[in-house]
Amino acid sequence: MRGTHHRTLRVRLGFVLAAVLAAVLVAACGSSSSSSSSSASSTSSSSAPASSSTSSTTAASTGTASSNTSSCGPKPGVKATGTPINIGTIDTKQPGTDFSDGPNMINAWFSCVNANGGVNGHPMKLFVQYDQTQPAQIAAAAKQLIQTDHVVAIDGVFDLLECTIDQSYWKSLGIYEMGAGIAPECWSTPNSAAVNMGPRYSSDGAVQYGLSQHPSKIVFVQSNVPGTQYIAAGPTALAKAANVPITALTANVPIQDANSLALNLVNSAGSNGWVVLNFTPPEALVILQAAQKLGLEDRVKGWGCSTPCNTDFLAAALGPKWNHKLFVNAELTSPDDHNGPEMQLYKNILHQYGSAVAGGLGSFSEMGYLLGKFLTDALQKVQGPYTMASVNAAIKGIKDEKTELLCQPWVYGDYPLHIPNNADFTTTPDNGKMVTAQGCFNVSSDDPQIAAYRSAAGTAPSTNPPTG
Amino acid sequence: MEPRSLVRPAVAVALVAFAFLFIPSIFSLYYVNAWTQVAIWSIVTLGLGVLVGRVGMVSLGQGAVLAMGAWVAARILFATGLPYPVVLLASGLITMVLGTLVGLPALRMSGLYLALITLMLAGAITIVLQNIQFPNGGHGFTGYNGATVHIPPIRRPSIATTDPAFFRYSVIVAVLMFVLVLVHLRGRPGRAWAAIRQSEAAALAGGINTTLYKLWAFALASFITGVAGGLVAGFYHYLNSLTFATSDSITLLAVVLMGGAYSMTGAVVAAFLLKFLQQLLNDWGVSPDWLTILFGIGVLQVLTTAPRGIVEQMPKDIARLARLVRGLFSRPASPQEHES
Amino acid sequence: MPSTTDLEQFLITGLSLGGVYALSGVGMVVLYRATGVLYLAFGAVGAMGALISWQLSHQDGWNIWLSFVAAILFGGLITLVYGMIFGPALAGRDPLVKATATLGLLLILLGVMDLLWPSSGGASRALTIPTDNNTFQVGQISVTYTNVIALALGLLITIVTAAFLRFTKLGTAMRAMANDREITAALGVPVRRVEAAAWFGCGVLSGAAGVLLADLVALDSTSLTFLVIFTLAAALIARLRSIVVTFFAALVIGVIDAEITPINKISNYRDMTPFVLAVIALLVLNRRRVITVGRQGV
Repeated sequence: MRGTHHRTLRVRLGFVLAAVLAAVLVAACGSSSSSSSSSASSTSSSSAPASSSTSSTTAASTGTASSNTSSCGPKPGVKATGTPINIGTIDTKQPGTDFSDGPNMINAWFSCVNANGGVNGHPMKLFVQYDQTQPAQIAAAAKQLIQTDHVVAIDGVFDLLECTIDQSYWKSLGIYEMGAGIAPECWSTPNSAAVNMGPRYSSDGAVQYGLSQHPSKIVFVQSNVPGTQYIAAGPTALAKAANVPITALTANVPIQDANSLALNLVNSAGSNGWVVLNFTPPEALVILQAAQKLGLEDRVKGWGCSTPCNTDFLAAALGPKWNHKLFVNAELTSPDDHNGPEMQLYKNILHQYGSAVAGGLGSFSEMGYLLGKFLTDALQKVQGPYTMASVNAAIKGIKDEKTELLCQPWVYGDYPLHIPNNADFTTTPDNGKMVTAQGCFNVSSDDPQIAAYRSAAGTAPSTNPPTG
Repeated sequence: MEPRSLVRPAVAVALVAFAFLFIPSIFSLYYVNAWTQVAIWSIVTLGLGVLVGRVGMVSLGQGAVLAMGAWVAARILFATGLPYPVVLLASGLITMVLGTLVGLPALRMSGLYLALITLMLAGAITIVLQNIQFPNGGHGFTGYNGATVHIPPIRRPSIATTDPAFFRYSVIVAVLMFVLVLVHLRGRPGRAWAAIRQSEAAALAGGINTTLYKLWAFALASFITGVAGGLVAGFYHYLNSLTFATSDSITLLAVVLMGGAYSMTGAVVAAFLLKFLQQLLNDWGVSPDWLTILFGIGVLQVLTTAPRGIVEQMPKDIARLARLVRGLFSRPASPQEHES
Repeated sequence: MPSTTDLEQFLITGLSLGGVYALSGVGMVVLYRATGVLYLAFGAVGAMGALISWQLSHQDGWNIWLSFVAAILFGGLITLVYGMIFGPALAGRDPLVKATATLGLLLILLGVMDLLWPSSGGASRALTIPTDNNTFQVGQISVTYTNVIALALGLLITIVTAAFLRFTKLGTAMRAMANDREITAALGVPVRRVEAAAWFGCGVLSGAAGVLLADLVALDSTSLTFLVIFTLAAALIARLRSIVVTFFAALVIGVIDAEITPINKISNYRDMTPFVLAVIALLVLNRRRVITVGRQGV
């Protein structure tokens, strides 16, 4: 009796299972998977390098013919057919935190270059290892790339932990990695340089703008993940130098009670205070929306946010009450209101080769573009065989890489630490879009790490004129 | 003793020996790490299996116990130069004390309330850990330095610094923990637990000190999970609050149910489901969400049709399949053969 | 120490979140009393309903109120289907087993949600109920009508279900079934229909709570799914029995949690409030030993 009942149940369970799978498949294939479909990252740490993609679906909005991408490579139209140059990368991809747009864009760049002459005739090949923030996984991925895939360089690391875990391994091999980092080691070791600013220096930029408005107090709040004191040390130093009192708070993520948090921030800052947030876009949005619902957005002098907030999606979600009230530090040039030749090339490559880049125009694809371009530019200069030694020597030798996407030329160099992106914009929401509020400015040397870097590498002059 | 009852343990010993000797040479480093995780997490699933399968207590907080064990081990490893086995023992004992303290008031609860209170306690522990963070070489009680730019790695045993060596080390520790549990199961605690699982009222009536033995089970599970936490600390080198998620305790219960909470082999199967499959799917580029869905279906399947888990059910299913196949190839069978 | 005005302001924020916890808690307790199942997948179902609502209104252009209806219907249907398949299958088992089975549903939904609405480092989703735009002032802060709805709905559901269970025939039948399904069936009560009503009702509540929580907290599958743990704390304080106690416990938890926010030293520990209160309540209220009689174990 029981047996028959169980068998019937099994059959039913089987149907349910089949139905679920079918539904999932239909939904997965059916949904056009619009780029703005990304959900809150509940466990990602502060200020992912992903300063969030803008919400436009594809670069079709540019309207330009996608044919003119051939300037990416040295010989337009000529396919590269030599032995491939193997490049490796490790990136975080897990429920809640998916950085795959970065390496996908690098692949798009490589596809373009390979179709247009390659690097001295060699095609570029990218080996991507995804991890779920497990340190052993990341360490093993590094070894796999070197020992099994025989990569000669590491480029395109968008990862929550990688810089911390692999830096001694890279050092032992003489590898100089390039990426868009998060962990402190991405900026503080000789073997890593990033195209982004990272949570500390971007928060510096946001606080710096706030300080320029002469508030009587700064409240700096960030997500409570490892390394908060390191991040807060920057803004604290800046505020101290300007003689403005600063309170550094942390909040557990995911945020349960945004109302209480917003209320607390506003009360702490006071009517002439400035609140600066350092969160991923979903959390920042939740806090700002709570502040608006409580009617608190005007209760302080102004609001600031580090670079993850620099996204049109946030501007649209916030609504007109936040126009010119929130000032966001932007580490990359916005593709919306800049359209020079290089920006055009980036958009065309995204359109032609970047179908795997779900987020479309925005920070991830911009950073991926830069990481691909800086690498191939450097490798074009290598004479002789492409070995780990020769390739990494070329990477280390990168200097004066001018680009429309950054405020200043990018450099690697032989320094004990690397903060090559240390000048940025400030943007502000304006009726659903992020517009420039302040052109390129240098992040203050009141932050001791920035000062240390500038004394080693000098201060690169800004190559980007501020827009109106 | 019948020869048949020696076959299963002999096979188990042979398999473990084979794994110990040959896995590092057969598999790439990526998969050796996956097997190491299987070895470490089989200790955790064993602990939960003892609680669920032998005593009938469902704990929804073993993930937090593992986190505590890892925290304690990391703190000791940074603060002292004690040899690794001592550190493992210490973290096991301290976690045992903490786990027992936490379990003590909960023991007066019945099944559902016990599960829920462990969930609540796990939630509280998670928040505490989120705030005091994991030791990273700093000073003070918490050993956490939030301002550090270069985090030192947590050390491994001096004889097992490389990944293959650490795999073997983990297997040895796991074997020791399994033996410890086996000794318990074959002895007085095991019999008391079986009586309690049958009927707690009857066990009490029979003169068994149920509170003591339930406490003992908690203590044992916490001890071995604490030791596993020590292995996790050395394995990962770097710990932070992101390493241990809330959902971990739930998926842990799911795989223990699927693998079979009643047998020791089930614990290894559970760890395999939890950790090895995850690494496999990641290597193949398949989203880990499919695994979550699989675990969900597995829980439903096990609870409704195969309460003893895959390990017991699989041989039955295979036998049934074999009969089916035989039936296809032989002449129309007599009525007895159609029973299933 | 925070000032009196501060305390007043945080009282309001606390009540609004507590209101939604109350709604969820009442839903879970009602189902438990009717079927003996502690519906741990409550939050996950609500989360998926909210995501469906987002998909329909933001991506497919549906009217937002219709999308809410869809969310609520989804909650009701999937809970009903689950209840009809697994209710009878596990009917004779320990409440622990029934609750553990709902964990299976939780995991399935969690996986499906992340597959259908994945995250790629970047934009986020938000669900806004139009009543967010209508506010009124209480002292220095504005309160949205969504907050009011959350609290009012919680209160309404509490009163209605308490009365329903006590005074109606169907309600009495549900209470009887929770005690012993077989005897109730033997007495001629249409057990399957009553069960179906209970499951569907709970599912509808979970859909509604999901939409409200998505608006008040965040539209994120993981946090909405595990928010159920906070709700559970309130239900535990009521020992899974009294709907009214659940309601007030949820409010108290919400208020205490909010009031601790301005105390910077312990502010980040305030999320422990539900757990601490639940553990204390369980220990204090269950001072007598409780032994399960009858069927044991998983």
